[in-house]
Order: sequence, then structure tokens, then C-alpha cells
Amino acid sequence: MKYYLKLGFVLLIITVIASGILAYINTITQPIIERNQQIAQENARKEVLPAAISFEEVTGDPTYFIGIDSDDNIVGYTFVASLYGYSSNVETMVGINPEMVIEKIKIISQSETPGLGANCEKPEFQAQFSGKQKSDMKVNKDGGAIVSLTGATITTRTITNSIKTALNKLDIPIENTAEEVE
Amino acid sequence: MAWLKEFTKGFIKENPVFVMALGLCPTLAVSSSVINAIGMGLAATFVLVFSNMFISLIKNLIPSKIRIPAYIVVIASFVTIVDMVMHAYLPAIHKSLGLFIPLIVVNCIILGRAEAFASKNNVFLSILDGLGMGLGFTLALVVIGSIREILGAGQFLGMNVLPATYKPMLVAILAPGAFIVMGLLMSLMNLTKKK
Repeated sequence: MKYYLKLGFVLLIITVIASGILAYINTITQPIIERNQQIAQENARKEVLPAAISFEEVTGDPTYFIGIDSDDNIVGYTFVASLYGYSSNVETMVGINPEMVIEKIKIISQSETPGLGANCEKPEFQAQFSGKQKSDMKVNKDGGAIVSLTGATITTRTITNSIKTALNKLDIPIENTAEEVE
Repeated sequence: MAWLKEFTKGFIKENPVFVMALGLCPTLAVSSSVINAIGMGLAATFVLVFSNMFISLIKNLIPSKIRIPAYIVVIASFVTIVDMVMHAYLPAIHKSLGLFIPLIVVNCIILGRAEAFASKNNVFLSILDGLGMGLGFTLALVVIGSIREILGAGQFLGMNVLPATYKPMLVAILAPGAFIVMGLLMSLMNLTKKK
């Protein structure tokens, strides 16, 4: 009996020391990880809406940011559209102007098939979304304006549909904010 | 010069991937590009060196009945440290390696070296063994990763190395390519050994 208590005690000491060390390292790395994520989001927002110099967060479904230029004018909105694709959640940062026309999109997170779906990160693919509207958000195979990636129709459809859904949800809140500012 | 042998045996003679066939799951999964291979290899090397060192230090304090859970706690702690540090300072590599960093915990190479070597040898030799085995693992990953990245994407470390007319052999960076490349390299190793 005493022997088994000793075994448990030894393991207890080892785990206590280990968790102490881990807790200490976590306090160092946690703030850096959070800051990195914020910077990455901020950079992605600036990239899809270059005219804006500052952003104002509006929480809701979905949460979006109002882009404001140096003269306090609303130059557009950014939001993250997200939907499950072929093998991963695909997150896209989208920038639109006040007329709901897409300025630019940027895929911020995906792990689709390398060489096929993962090609959605290529600038040539993302560029075709610029200047498109909600009504254009359909893949060419479904009779729409978005040219799908070779061998990755599902990924293309995911991105297109996620943007379309988000734009649908955003319609009303964006009209309201525009009125408030005027 | 016995200590030198403990260091170099992991490269070719007892290479963890090609000869001992350990740690194949991460090998197959992360060797689709050279940068992933290097990141994974160095992360595993770090864990191997420190877990070997620690286990060698405390080997006389641990009753043999609970040695495996004790080793796992030590290994898991170092893996978590690597995971958090990489997430903070190397976010890009951390993102592409994803789940495979936490999975270093169950990489058989690390527990295997702890059980087979560090629990029987002194600290100095255990560190050398861990370093050698880790670098051998990294070497294997980089070799597989280079072949797959060059054939499958026409790139090396993200730079185009083949002419633009080359049409990438997609299969090389997909899962089957990993099995094919690793199988060919293993048979090559066996062929040279027999002669």
C-alpha cells in the first residue's frame, strides 16, 4: 500500500513541476500570440480596403468593420466570410465599398488540398472577385460569373457562397449605419 | 570516440525514418514542402534533446513501474513549450504544421529513445543521441520534402527551380506521393546496405 502511494506521489511531483513551467511560459507567449493575430487581421483589413486608414468594429452577425478615410468618410466595410469547404474551414476577408460592390478579397485561412483547392490563395484567383456584386456570386458551372479553380469547384463554391451569405446578412445593418452617419 | 558514434548513428546507420521506420505519420504528412520538413524536424529535435537530457537526469528517481507515464509527462511538457513558442514567434510555420506539432508527443522516436537510450545512459551521451536522432529525422524529412516539392510544385524552399514549361506532378505533394517517395528511398537504403 505504502509503495503505491509513493508511486502516485512521484508522479504528482513531476506533473506539478511540469505544469508550473508550462504556466510560466504560457504567460510569456500568450500576449505575443494574441498580438500577432490582431496584427494579421488588421493587415488583411487594410489590404482588402486600401482607401481606409482606420476601422471601427461593429459586433453582430456577422461582425464587420467600417472603414473610414482621413476625412472621416465611410469608404467601405470589411468582414470575414467563413464556410466549410472540401477539407477545411475557409475564411475569407472581404472588403466592399458603400455600394456593396466588392473591392478585394483575401483568403486568410484554409487547408484545402495542396495543388488544387489550396490554389485559392493565388492572387489571380482572388482578383476576379474585385468589382463583383452580390448577384454575381455564383460559380461559372452554376451559371455565374466566378471562374472556378481547376479540380476545385467545391472550394470555389464555398468561397463564393460564404461571401454571398455574408453579403445577404449585411444588407440591412449597412444601410442603417450609412443613414446614421448622414 | 564512442561518443561520436552515438551522435552520428542517427544519420544513416540507425536513421529513425529509413532504417527503424519510426515516426512515419508526421514524416508522410509534413514532407510536402522543404520548409515544413525543416520546421517539423527541428521541433522534434528540440523535444528529443531536452526530453533525453531530462529523462537521463531523473532516471534514478523514477520507480520503473511508472516510468512510461513519467516520460510522457516530460515529453508532453517540452512539446507544449515548442508549440507555444512556435505559435508566438514563427506563426507561419506553426500554421502550416498545424496539428502535427502537438502530435510530436506520440511520435515513437521520442518515447523510443527515452526508453531505449536515455533511461540507460548518462546525460552527455543522451543529449548526443537525441541530437543525432533528431537531425537524422530532419535529414530524412528534408530529403523526402525536397523530392516532393521539386516534382510536385517545381519549387525548392518556395523558389521556382524548374523552367516554367514544367508541369508539376501534382501527385508528388498529395498523400500517395509521400508513400511512393518514402518507399523508393527506403528500398534504395536497403540496396546500398546489402552490397
